Amino acid sequence: MSRANGTLKLEIRKVVKNFGGLQALKGVSLTIEGSQLVGLIGPNGAGKTTLTNIISGLLRPTSGQIWFNGERIDTLRPYHIARKGIGRTFQVTRAFRRMTVLENMLAPGIVKHPYMSRRELEKKALEIMEFLTIDHLRYERAGNLSGGQQKLLELARLLMLDPQLIILDEPFAGVHPKLQRTIYDYIKRVREQGKAIILISHDMESIFTLSERLVVLNFGEIIADGPPEEVKNDPAVIEAYLGRDEEEEHDLRRAY
Amino acid sequence: MTFRRIYVLWVLTGVFLLGLLFYPVLPKVNLQSYWLLVGMTALFYAILASSWSLLAGYTGQFSFAHMAFMGLGTYAAGIMIRDWGLTPWIATIAGVLVTGVVGWLIGYLCLRLRATYLALFTIAFAEIFRLVVKAEVKITGGPNGLEMPPYQRPEAFDRLMKAILPYWDANQYVPAYYTMALLFFLSLLFMFFLVRSRFGLFFRAVREDEEAAAALGVHVVNTRVLAFVVSSMIAGLAGIVFHHFIGLVVPDEMIIGRMSLIIAMAVIGGSQNLVGAALGAIFIHFALEWLQQIPMPLPVLERLLFLESWGFSVDLQAGLLRTNAWRMVGFGILLMLTLRFAQNGLISPILDWLARKEAVEEVAKRFQAQRDMGAVDAVQPVTSPANPTDDLEAEGEKA
Repeated sequence: MSRANGTLKLEIRKVVKNFGGLQALKGVSLTIEGSQLVGLIGPNGAGKTTLTNIISGLLRPTSGQIWFNGERIDTLRPYHIARKGIGRTFQVTRAFRRMTVLENMLAPGIVKHPYMSRRELEKKALEIMEFLTIDHLRYERAGNLSGGQQKLLELARLLMLDPQLIILDEPFAGVHPKLQRTIYDYIKRVREQGKAIILISHDMESIFTLSERLVVLNFGEIIADGPPEEVKNDPAVIEAYLGRDEEEEHDLRRAY
Repeated sequence: MTFRRIYVLWVLTGVFLLGLLFYPVLPKVNLQSYWLLVGMTALFYAILASSWSLLAGYTGQFSFAHMAFMGLGTYAAGIMIRDWGLTPWIATIAGVLVTGVVGWLIGYLCLRLRATYLALFTIAFAEIFRLVVKAEVKITGGPNGLEMPPYQRPEAFDRLMKAILPYWDANQYVPAYYTMALLFFLSLLFMFFLVRSRFGLFFRAVREDEEAAAALGVHVVNTRVLAFVVSSMIAGLAGIVFHHFIGLVVPDEMIIGRMSLIIAMAVIGGSQNLVGAALGAIFIHFALEWLQQIPMPLPVLERLLFLESWGFSVDLQAGLLRTNAWRMVGFGILLMLTLRFAQNGLISPILDWLARKEAVEEVAKRFQAQRDMGAVDAVQPVTSPANPTDDLEAEGEKA
């Protein structure tokens, strides 16, 4: 199980990932230490999702290593990594559709606290669901929830697992501004608990407001890494966005 | 409405259990060995169908090897009795353990296989096993089958049972029937508690989305293998006990057609509901037996004589319409209609409807308890949850 209050450290060492002839990641190295909110951006196909899949163990790197709190984790299975304290959401929500919202919450809860009574776990789950405003849906089947509610459910489930490092893959995609507010609160609360977050988003406004450090991926390489103000003036970043996607470039400008 | 569905459910359960208990002395059955055999076969199929639904309906592992595991356990026990001189009781335990070990192995091999591939893999395993058993005449007795000696019961036990049930020793099938009934009840109870436990939660999480479950720390490998081992062991146990009473096991009992029958029973009953699958098996087995020869009044039969040219047999003396192969046609049509119009089976929606009231009450009670603990304050209580009982759920829709 993860350490309660120790400092966390994620080290990505020269990770390469090939899909057949396509090189999705070309030797990415990145270190995240302590409770940081790291924004990860990049044009479509830059390798952001591949990188998160490798960190969470769904994919094995072709070469390179990943270390978490002094342990090598890139050879572990996904549930092992989750138990070590790395949690993630998916770009497309993946709730357990034919289970109730509460049961969705209980599964990771039992993983985290195997000896806690059902009653205690339910109480914990309810508190989290209340915070994310989905408590009134607790006996509803997850498949019946709206897209935004399913997103909130994913975030809530993650809190039941109580990981040290949370990877949020596009939490704002297709979300109503009101829900966006809730997710902001969520991120704030998670930060207060001393957890680190890797935030992937195409929503430039929120990523510039929230992140303390911004990492830009392009064609499987990190082209910039630093405080947001620095990164957005980086010529390589501007060029990457200019060269690839008009709309995102526009977003980047707007965020100035 | 003062009509309380919860009581209906309990009353029905009670009626069913009493029926199970008094089935041998029901007027029509009247301790005839034929009907006792039909009854215990129905229970045997019910155990197989419900343990298969644990594997397929709850964990989403659509296996065709369930009958092979049944046969594996039976043959293992039979061979150990013949060659090592074990008593049937010890051989039963040993046979179940063998099934568990092989189930673990096959479950492990199937880990990376999904849906169709898993089905094909298990079909291959089942057929290979059946053909090997058929071919290895020296070890297994080949197509002629393997003898399964009966269980020895202490005399004191028989005396005790006779004191309770006066018709206990009316014929050899009475103790056999009751043993199967007890086994049916216990295995259903065991699986019921298993799916209510945390493992049931993990089973369903893995079925719904394996990657998401893994990302939340659910030990996917253990969960899938556990489902395989448990359901295989139950199938093995049922096979061993049943065949000790039948006295013989033949390889063709493991044929894919028989496996399909079990699957069809579970699907028609409701494969995501243990009780539904079990009741489906009992219902269909009896229906198929009854349909073999339908009693009819003479005038009706005389009008049905034309069916003779279609392959039915009309027995005017006995007043019976024999359906021969046609009953299986009807069964096939029922299966197709179920798959098209009631994906969650025909029986489990009824159970679901009966259980709903109970679930709503339970939900309200739990909510009250949580409010008392101070976990919830200003939240609206849920008065009518859409789907409160997930193991009794009504829809079979896929994500």
